[in-house]
Amino acid sequence: MTTSADSPLTAGTRSLVPLSSAMPWIIATVVLLALPFVFPSGAGLTIMNQMAITIVFALAYNMLLGQGGMLSFGHAVYMGLGGFFCMHLLNWVENDGLWLPLPLLPVFGGLFGLFFAFLIGGFSTRRAGTVFAMISLGVGELIAACSIIVVAFFGGEEGVSGDRTYGPEVLGVDFAQQSEVYYLIVCWMLLSTLAMYLFSRTPIGRITNAVRDNEERAEFLGYSQRHVRWISFCASGFFCGVAGALFAINLEILTEENLNTTQSGIILLLTFLGGVGFFVGPIVGAIVFTLLQTVLSLYTEIWQLYLGILFLATVMFFPNGLTGLMAMHIPSWKAGRLGLLMRPYAKMAVPALAFVFSAAAIMEILFHAREASVGSEEMTLYGMTFNSHGYAPLVIAAAVAAASLYLMKQIAPSVREAWSEANPVRGDS
Amino acid sequence: MSAAENLAASSAAIELRDLDKSFGLARIIQNVNLSVEPGERHAIIGPNGAGKSTLFNLITGKYAPTSGSVFMNGQSVSGLKPYEINRMGLSRSFQITNIFPKMTVFENIRCGLLWTMDYKYSFWHLVDRQTDLTARAEEILDQINLTARRNDLAGMLAYAEQRALEIGITIAGGADIIMLDEPCAGMSTSETQYIVGLIRKVTEGKTLIIVEHDMGVIFDLADRISVLVYGEILATDTPENIRGNEKVQEAYLGSAEE
Repeated sequence: MTTSADSPLTAGTRSLVPLSSAMPWIIATVVLLALPFVFPSGAGLTIMNQMAITIVFALAYNMLLGQGGMLSFGHAVYMGLGGFFCMHLLNWVENDGLWLPLPLLPVFGGLFGLFFAFLIGGFSTRRAGTVFAMISLGVGELIAACSIIVVAFFGGEEGVSGDRTYGPEVLGVDFAQQSEVYYLIVCWMLLSTLAMYLFSRTPIGRITNAVRDNEERAEFLGYSQRHVRWISFCASGFFCGVAGALFAINLEILTEENLNTTQSGIILLLTFLGGVGFFVGPIVGAIVFTLLQTVLSLYTEIWQLYLGILFLATVMFFPNGLTGLMAMHIPSWKAGRLGLLMRPYAKMAVPALAFVFSAAAIMEILFHAREASVGSEEMTLYGMTFNSHGYAPLVIAAAVAAASLYLMKQIAPSVREAWSEANPVRGDS
Repeated sequence: MSAAENLAASSAAIELRDLDKSFGLARIIQNVNLSVEPGERHAIIGPNGAGKSTLFNLITGKYAPTSGSVFMNGQSVSGLKPYEINRMGLSRSFQITNIFPKMTVFENIRCGLLWTMDYKYSFWHLVDRQTDLTARAEEILDQINLTARRNDLAGMLAYAEQRALEIGITIAGGADIIMLDEPCAGMSTSETQYIVGLIRKVTEGKTLIIVEHDMGVIFDLADRISVLVYGEILATDTPENIRGNEKVQEAYLGSAEE
């Protein structure tokens, strides 16, 4: 009974991983290795490094939020502490001749994050829900306050900085180049992602889900809900520490900003944006957020406003996040009916884009009219230059917004119709 | 208590001694003494609000007794946490369906297996690759006739199927003492018959404590019955004797039967 490989997934491949489940990892690895050749610029590498670090952090955060149902408002603490500790390690390498190859630094960052998660999780995971959230907020504020007070460790307002290149060379690489750092970070990101994915498939990972869904039931199956939460909290703390170490390697400086509640808020926001219910959700969130943060901020000063609106829209209309939005289409794709949706979607996209751009124009014009220095009333938007203090541009933008909204309402029924045609209501599809 | 009963007590699967539970001023369970033998099918009946569920929660560790004690196989379990009592070999179901609705039927059963199959808090096993786990879960699915719904979300099942799943999760861990809280509540006659057959099958050779309102189920299934009224045990006896007991008829059966 136990020896016969009756499951198709394990048939014939007792020790090897089936190709179908290894494929996404192989593709991701190839793409990540090739990316620096597509975006060789310094700015490109900076963005990609930032993205990879944020992915590790967001995935670690989602081990709590998505997998364990624990809403933490102070999770930047574990990344920040891991990062600060790594900065000190780098300085010891530089000044005291500590032998530590740079690629191993994240292990120590992780262990430091794990250590603090073990300490704080010891009392914060007694209860889930509001109590846990409040304790996480309190601890977040506490550590952020400490970062100003405990200057020896946190370096006060200017933070702790160092130099990553003093460690022993690894295969002739001293990590002075941005691209070398990229490959180091990407390796750690892939390793961490794989480890976190596999964690979700272990007994403790599954029971973490069970406790999230029904903690009482789990207790009557032999599991202490508190211990389950504590263990996943520690695991999350470890990977947060890894992210902190990667941050230290990448920017060579950590300040109070890296562990304050703003940072904790950002990680919550982008994880939710990507979708907490999916393993890849935080990855999507981290990519989209980093792009918005780095690219959108080049074009507009009020990018955070757009981010806030995007977040609100996600919470209100797509509570499963961007990944949930994509996952919605899987059944119709599998049924070969996705094509039915393309035409209505394209029809909808025109007024939708018009609405987004005109609504953004209204905000940009208002912002410019209020904030621009006296005398500079000219503004350039979408390649047009006009006076931001006049009424005409506002009226035009508002008219376009209203018209496109009206059009969207007109087109909506046909989209809905196409949707129900592509997703026939049946028990199985 | 006679010497003979004291002797029996040490070998009892579950023994309650002078058990009391108060919530504020309300004394819900009053001086309950009860002994359930290994392998016995014991039913607890009583009108609504008699304290049946509270008694269940006291035995399974959800509540700690105000005074008195609970013994399991001769060991005191009073004040232990539900998971500690579960690890000692007691498993329960709930009056209101208590499953993992967002997991598949198969995963629900597997969650019930993990602890006793020694996977505990392991983070070095991958659950999908543990053939012993999968095989055992599939055996249980087969026992509760839910193999066809293996990959459906538990929350999507019909009510009777969810109740069957709940029983499946409860027995999965292989506990020797099974406690079922109104397993047939809200079911049609045919569904009830099905569930009773299921209970009979999966609790074979185990100690069963069951709370149920359906008298047909009780008299069909139980070896002995305890009647609980206002938190006190009125009588504990075989079904025939309970049926003939005047006190019981007066307090309960006469007014509530069918």
